[in-house]
Amino acid sequence: MMYDFIVVGSGSGGGSLAYYLNKSGAKVLLIEAGRFYRKDTFPKTEAETSAHLYWGGGIEFAKDGRMGFLRTKMVGGSSIVYQCLMDRFDDIALNDWKQESGVDWFTPEIMSAHYDQVESDIALHTFVPEERNGNGKLFIKGCEKHNYKWDYLRRGQSDCAVDRGNDCIGCLGGCFRDSKQSSLVAFVQKAEKEGLEIIPDTEILKVEPNADSCKIHGYQNGKKVSFEGKKVILSGGAFGTTRMMTLSGFKSKLPTIGKKFSSHPQFMWLGFQNEIVDAHKGSFQTVASKDPNFRKLGFKLENVFASPISIGMLMNEDGIEHQRLMKQYRYMQCIEVAVRDENVGEIMCDNKGKLTVSKPLTDQDKKRRDLGHQAIENILSASGAREIYKSKFYFGLHLMGGCVMGTDASKSVVNPDFQVHGEKNLYIVDSSIYPNAPGINPGLTIKTLGHRLATQLTK
Amino acid sequence: MANFFSTRATKGLLKVGDIYCPKNGEFPAFSEAAGTAHLNSLIKNIPSDDFSSLSMVLAIFSFFPQFVLRWITGICTNAQNNPSDGMLPSLLRQLNIGLRGLCYSIYYSELTNPNFKGQTPLQVMGYQLNRITD
Repeated sequence: MMYDFIVVGSGSGGGSLAYYLNKSGAKVLLIEAGRFYRKDTFPKTEAETSAHLYWGGGIEFAKDGRMGFLRTKMVGGSSIVYQCLMDRFDDIALNDWKQESGVDWFTPEIMSAHYDQVESDIALHTFVPEERNGNGKLFIKGCEKHNYKWDYLRRGQSDCAVDRGNDCIGCLGGCFRDSKQSSLVAFVQKAEKEGLEIIPDTEILKVEPNADSCKIHGYQNGKKVSFEGKKVILSGGAFGTTRMMTLSGFKSKLPTIGKKFSSHPQFMWLGFQNEIVDAHKGSFQTVASKDPNFRKLGFKLENVFASPISIGMLMNEDGIEHQRLMKQYRYMQCIEVAVRDENVGEIMCDNKGKLTVSKPLTDQDKKRRDLGHQAIENILSASGAREIYKSKFYFGLHLMGGCVMGTDASKSVVNPDFQVHGEKNLYIVDSSIYPNAPGINPGLTIKTLGHRLATQLTK
Repeated sequence: MANFFSTRATKGLLKVGDIYCPKNGEFPAFSEAAGTAHLNSLIKNIPSDDFSSLSMVLAIFSFFPQFVLRWITGICTNAQNNPSDGMLPSLLRQLNIGLRGLCYSIYYSELTNPNFKGQTPLQVMGYQLNRITD
């Protein structure tokens, strides 16, 4: 069967693109490597979430074993497990993209029409003072003592039932209320009701574009499968799309494949209070730094927390000392610094499809991290922490680059129309096309790029 | 072939788990409380090459006395502070996280040993998660 469009990958980019294409009346197929979980079938425990929803059965590592990457494998992609914070990019981020890529439509004016449309299709909520939990209140107290600007976060959510006692930290393994506006909830399930064809459990390894269409080949439950569409759009994320492009032999023609990888490295520190904080209760992430100075310096602070196993993984102590720290779980406050990192990382893929990632921290990254750590220490001390735990582990959750957009085929992989350079029937829309790290949550903008491409393809 | 923990590898995990999570006051020992019955479900998505290496390391650990294991886990822990990006420190850092990840997943979680009758680690911590699904 010939489809009008085949979208490979159902995360923020693929989900929104498939939704808008399907809405236009086109014949669309959405293919996903992972399982199709629903609100009532998501794993119920933190251990099962990590083991069942992530590629590699948990954390993947950079080749030096320092930075861990979290990358999901299911319908809805990483939007299922993330916090669904919905920030538009500011002038700084868009200008930097425009400069690096040469793409002239990276402007607030042009992007705002797409942001407006996507935001009208998502239930958005900006937190209010009554929703802060103990961790949020301590963050604000510490910020105000140091005159750091902060603000309430805007999140994609419809009805989290926090007023009835729901603890939203549970939705880091998938929202069991369909409240969080993941790609699954905001786009895929809605499009499914309107006839979108979705095939899960199907891993695409090779794409084969030709003059009139594009074929794709992969495996479904161990069996070889192939599909054909007039146009194919890859949305497998920085690692997944880079892997498909490399295995399809494009690297000799487009040497930038895999390069310019960034990840907003995140470093979490804990403060221990004398009174119970219960950072895991209620709406567990309601505020963040909004300090223009921090933005200029290249980092931001987030008022985050995690479930017990993840918190345990932050600590490099053994035995009794580790248990002493864990016993204070309810007394912990937590802040992370997310660094706007340089895009010097590289995603490499061997001919069997095994990925190796190089992601060293540059001197500038380390400087930004250290400035962020100093601010965290100031906030934790000012909010009354009697002990501070400075974790050495760090993670990349926003995986960006590898197939970047640009006007020059020798320095990029897709052109300003999202087409792979030199291929009129093969496109990419996901975080892999990000020219550099924006320093802002990437989710809303990925969805927005999906809308822009859909508009362009259905003209 | 599906990943599968041998009895020997499980024995090694229980020994190393007692170093990361010993009996200590209200906290039970890893070997008492950890839900090893859940292991095979938790490891099924680990790439088979990585799992084979991990399983082999754990099987070897099962033969070592506790003081040798303590020395080895100490080296893995210290690799986190090693400035070198060489192959050995990188492997030790990954082993450090891999071992901790496995141990904590069946200790600081709901997936504990159903036959263990004492307070679970989550109960000792006072952790409770409310889910309102309707």
